[in-house]
Amino acid sequence: MKKSRPLLYLIVLVLLFTLPFYMGVYALNVMDIILIYMALALSWDMLLRSGQISFGMAGFFGVGGYAAVLLFLNTGMHPLLSIVLGGLAAGGLAWLIGSAVLQLRGMYFAIVTLALAEIFRVIVRNLPDLTGGPEGTVLSQAIFAGNSTYTYWLVLTAAALSVIVSEVFRHSRIHFALTSIRNDEIVAKSSGIDVFKYLVFLFAVTSAIQGITGGAYAHIYGFVSPEGSFSVDFTLLPIAMALLGGMHSTWGPVVGAVVLGVVSEFLKLQIPYGHLMVYGIIIVVAILFFPQGIVGTLGLKMKRTGSH
Amino acid sequence: MKAVIKNLRGGGLGEFPESAMNLVSKLKQSNYQISVITAVLVVILAFWKPHVLVEGLQRGCLYAVIALPMALILGIVGIINLAHGEYMMLGAYFAYWLNVYTGMDPLLAILPALAAFFLIGVASYRAIIKYVLGTPELNQLLLTFGLAMILEQLANLLWTSRPIKLPLPYVSSSATIGSFTFGTYEFIYVGAAILVLAGLLLFLKRTPTGQAALAVGQNPRGAKLVGIHVDRTYLLIFSLSIALIGALGAIFMTRHSIFPLVGAPFTMKSFCLIAMAGIGNLPGILWCSLILGLAENFVLSFRGYAGWADILFFALIVLVIMVRSRQREVK
Amino acid sequence: MAILRTEKLARHFGGLAALSGVSIEFRDNEILGIIGPNGAGKTTLINVIAGIYLPTEGKIFFENQDVSKLPAHRRCHLGIGRTFQLVRPLPGLSLVENVMVGSLFGKGLGKRDARKKAEELCAFLGLADLSRDITRMTALEVKKMEIAHALATQPKLLFLDEVMAGLNSEETMEMIDLVKKIHSQGITIGIVEHVMRVIRELTDRCVVLDWGEVIAEGPYGEVSNDSRVITAYLGEEA
Repeated sequence: MKKSRPLLYLIVLVLLFTLPFYMGVYALNVMDIILIYMALALSWDMLLRSGQISFGMAGFFGVGGYAAVLLFLNTGMHPLLSIVLGGLAAGGLAWLIGSAVLQLRGMYFAIVTLALAEIFRVIVRNLPDLTGGPEGTVLSQAIFAGNSTYTYWLVLTAAALSVIVSEVFRHSRIHFALTSIRNDEIVAKSSGIDVFKYLVFLFAVTSAIQGITGGAYAHIYGFVSPEGSFSVDFTLLPIAMALLGGMHSTWGPVVGAVVLGVVSEFLKLQIPYGHLMVYGIIIVVAILFFPQGIVGTLGLKMKRTGSH
Repeated sequence: MKAVIKNLRGGGLGEFPESAMNLVSKLKQSNYQISVITAVLVVILAFWKPHVLVEGLQRGCLYAVIALPMALILGIVGIINLAHGEYMMLGAYFAYWLNVYTGMDPLLAILPALAAFFLIGVASYRAIIKYVLGTPELNQLLLTFGLAMILEQLANLLWTSRPIKLPLPYVSSSATIGSFTFGTYEFIYVGAAILVLAGLLLFLKRTPTGQAALAVGQNPRGAKLVGIHVDRTYLLIFSLSIALIGALGAIFMTRHSIFPLVGAPFTMKSFCLIAMAGIGNLPGILWCSLILGLAENFVLSFRGYAGWADILFFALIVLVIMVRSRQREVK
Repeated sequence: MAILRTEKLARHFGGLAALSGVSIEFRDNEILGIIGPNGAGKTTLINVIAGIYLPTEGKIFFENQDVSKLPAHRRCHLGIGRTFQLVRPLPGLSLVENVMVGSLFGKGLGKRDARKKAEELCAFLGLADLSRDITRMTALEVKKMEIAHALATQPKLLFLDEVMAGLNSEETMEMIDLVKKIHSQGITIGIVEHVMRVIRELTDRCVVLDWGEVIAEGPYGEVSNDSRVITAYLGEEA
């Protein structure tokens, strides 16, 4: 990692932190959404680097949300603490499920994750005393009493956390392990990599990020519900963002989240029913024509024109 | 040509012929075990909870007739179609639309649905599916996921997310045996399951096109070498599967209320059933579907626990995965 | 002293016995040739010993420890290394980084040490320009990288699976010298080959497989005159 990089990140982060001082509430709310989806997109991409696809973002997002809200309501702990614990709960759950299911990979794993959101939704609906059942649970007050600056800083922290984790993964031995596993598991094993352990670990960490994001979201909007907290939006958009921006990188999902986050604001107003179709189209087009995404395609172009 | 195809099916081109035979006999054994278990359950339920037996049978057959076309695509074309449930959902809306504009009864709509969805299958294959056939599984999963989302949102756009149901008089027909009353309309699923399973088996084993398809499924390169047109086979099988599932959607529409997300759970359950039975084991899918249908209705029959029935398929597939990975000798 | 010993090793795939009744040993610091016609089970033998497949029957002892049930990565940590016939270098990583995967995970070295070890190994094998794009390498360079990768895991026993395949006679001579160089470091080597000249020059003994069974064992001179071996198709003389 070049020496100038961390400094650059710090500068950008500071700039981002100062946004509330010159941006209006509406713009901040849009940023909130962008940052939430950014964290989700990054977490999805990180697992993708090992060669596994998860369709379970919505599931762990919702678990984190419910865990955070229920912990907060039942123990009176500080909402921020409940968000962290909610993330850990999601991560722990992923550890259990992954340990059982990651023995078989590829489509078996992918479909199990696809079912997760549905499963969690059913469980939550069937424990009404605990979770408020089909109507969900409402918080009497959003976190920070709805102060949009603090809310924005919370979400920015969550997104920054995902970026940091993603970069750590990219610049440590984990990058070598994931690339090797993705390329050929048998060769990876023969190099001394404990493939199963890495995959379970990765699944748990990325799910924890999803849980933390979900916890933040739940506290910001002040409610959790089976339909809202496990909505397929939280799986569909991050995937479209990561594919659009470029897989296997930190900046791909970041760029994708910014672009699609802004786009989604417009689309929601223009086409209230069915605007999500755009994201499906983006995924299909990306797979068929641009597997590298924006960042990847630009990156390739720069390599060709640069000096080598 | 037939002899060559038979050779290919026996795995004559550099595979392990004995292992294929052993696998077949093992499958036959596991089918036998599963059918014995099923028979015992049936007898117990007939006396204890006849509702569960009848409704479980009907529901199980519904699952089977949805899963079979997916198994066909997975086994022969080798791609997992995450949009499978969505095609069924579109078939249901198609029948509804026909009913609204022409007054056609949805059951009659099966025929136009078969034709229309065959064409839709052709279009889907030509425009999208064939391009990911050689590519990594990841791409296929993502692509069909994106396709599923597109189809769901298309339905959302055209008909909104409000559930729709057609009031049809014949769906509430029932019969009574002694003091036990049950719905008889749902036996249509039983009929459909038997028809589709028998039809597919006959097609695959007795017709030259079907046998060629089997050969392609087991060994595409070998099949190409002996002159079987692989791309055309994939096109046919894919479109056939979509046609079947679209027609099924029409039947489904008669009895259930439909909404854009109605198909998604069926995709997951179908995959679960295929995984349980083993890819390529079509009759096994029927047995596993019956088990799932019976199990779900069994749970449903207990008042307080009814909501948990929808988790069963998940528990089953996790179990299957854990058992399978223990059986695997390759680490 | 046998660094590795197999006892009646067998591996079945469905009904087919890819290996049966294989009881061989690798003596400390020897170069053992593994030869036999195509499909005899040579690569399967490597796969079973390295832990990619579990044996259906029989046992494997590495340094007198029963490793038959150990997962592949653990066997790598213990010191069993191998190369692969078909090499797929990791995309997005440079040459030295590809080798580093071995040094990072074979013995759990830190990143800096792992890189140093990888660079040393590349130099040892005569690979230059380490940060070069891996898509533009010659066949010989790819093979060297693969061997460097395996050596990076610091094996005590190294299996070379057809490393001479596709090399011209000059390159083959260079590779033979490299294998001798590796051997002089104290590593026991099991070498699978079809090119008999290589076996003749490098190995102390060989083991001949046919249809998954050992049909002969001994120095190349003896084995090449064994009638069973000749019947089983000895492979081409280079």
